[in-house]
Amino acid sequence: MNRRMRSLHRSMGALVALFVMMLAITGMMLNHTSELKLDQRYLTWNWLLEHYGVATVEADAVFLLDQKVISQFDKQVFVDAYPATQVQRPILGGVVLDDLMILATDDALILLSPEGEFIERMSGTAGVPPMIQNIGLFHGEPVIQTRDGMWRSDFLLDQWERISLYGISWSAPQPMPDSVEADLAEYFHGKGITVEQFILDLHNGHIIEWFGVWLLDVFAVLTILISLTGLWMWGRRLA
Amino acid sequence: MNRVIFSIRSIRSIRSIRSIVAATLLMIAFSVFARGIYQTDEAFLAETFKGEIPKSQVVWVKGDLRKAINDILGHRYAGLRIRYWHKDGRKAWILEEIGKDQPITFGIITAKDKVEKVTVLAFRESRGGEIRYRAFTQQFDDAQLKDNDLDRHIDGISGATLSVRAMTAIVTLALYLDKFTSQQS
Repeated sequence: MNRRMRSLHRSMGALVALFVMMLAITGMMLNHTSELKLDQRYLTWNWLLEHYGVATVEADAVFLLDQKVISQFDKQVFVDAYPATQVQRPILGGVVLDDLMILATDDALILLSPEGEFIERMSGTAGVPPMIQNIGLFHGEPVIQTRDGMWRSDFLLDQWERISLYGISWSAPQPMPDSVEADLAEYFHGKGITVEQFILDLHNGHIIEWFGVWLLDVFAVLTILISLTGLWMWGRRLA
Repeated sequence: MNRVIFSIRSIRSIRSIRSIVAATLLMIAFSVFARGIYQTDEAFLAETFKGEIPKSQVVWVKGDLRKAINDILGHRYAGLRIRYWHKDGRKAWILEEIGKDQPITFGIITAKDKVEKVTVLAFRESRGGEIRYRAFTQQFDDAQLKDNDLDRHIDGISGATLSVRAMTAIVTLALYLDKFTSQQS
């Protein structure tokens, strides 16, 4: 019985030793978070960012206007990685006109400066036809397609005439360029994962989600068992 | 006897729970129904100008005007120009201001440096929708500008502090813009 217990104790000991060392090292590091500045250092390994789900962002719509990337996340409109304005409706398209960027929603045109600063929202009250479906350019003039037909205006955008044209260069959604996506990911998720967060998740098992928690529980049970078997053997020796 | 007392207590507790649940549902329903578009921009302008809506004009927000607007609102105004409608000495302004999290759309009519009427056109917050009632908005009737502030105190509404603040700021802004555009022309 004593030999069997000793064999069990050794087998469990080898397994538990790795777990105890990991707990001890991460525990000591967490105890000295401030001194080691763990909360100010960031890990930006791609696999880690992807594991935490902060490597990418998914815009509702992306349009490339001149050299700018216009994207919409819920109600927030970004020009490159900078928040420009909020809109209540989805952006359907955009064009560049002289020194204006014009975005179209179904009920208004959103005007932005070339630098991406919000100028104004022009709706039906400013003469913009309702029920917009898309926006495009025809020989440098803005054209909108609505449910009620096609309309053309000039750079003032406050007077629209009904037309029927072919050869309009309609705005179309584009994929998000990688560079802007990285900047937006930083905007939404910060600089990366702090070393403190990473070590804490290693320490409590959350690094591999629910499986890590259960694995730690198994190791904890093994630690209890190894303690009990050790005590039992020690007791036997004393006896 | 004990059973009778117990059953009376049970009925009372059930009644009080029912009352709490009913009150909670009422509050949720009220906050949900507070959100909405009460009047479209077009309908507001049509009502203001009796169906003959004038061509819109714009004010460019720059220089000293931007500084004054930022001071009135207490934050930077997001936009480079503001549109308004002017006819027969009356001006209509459709302006937005964030209450707590969401923009509230206000329609303000100004005439002769005074507020003629304030209307909440769209309210998107979950709380504070009481500001849309005429009983509250009539406090702004005939309000004037005094040192870039309103010439009167506006009574608040419990639970709608931020919405009241937003409305007070936007009415002040409309009066300031009314004065500015009058001086420009």
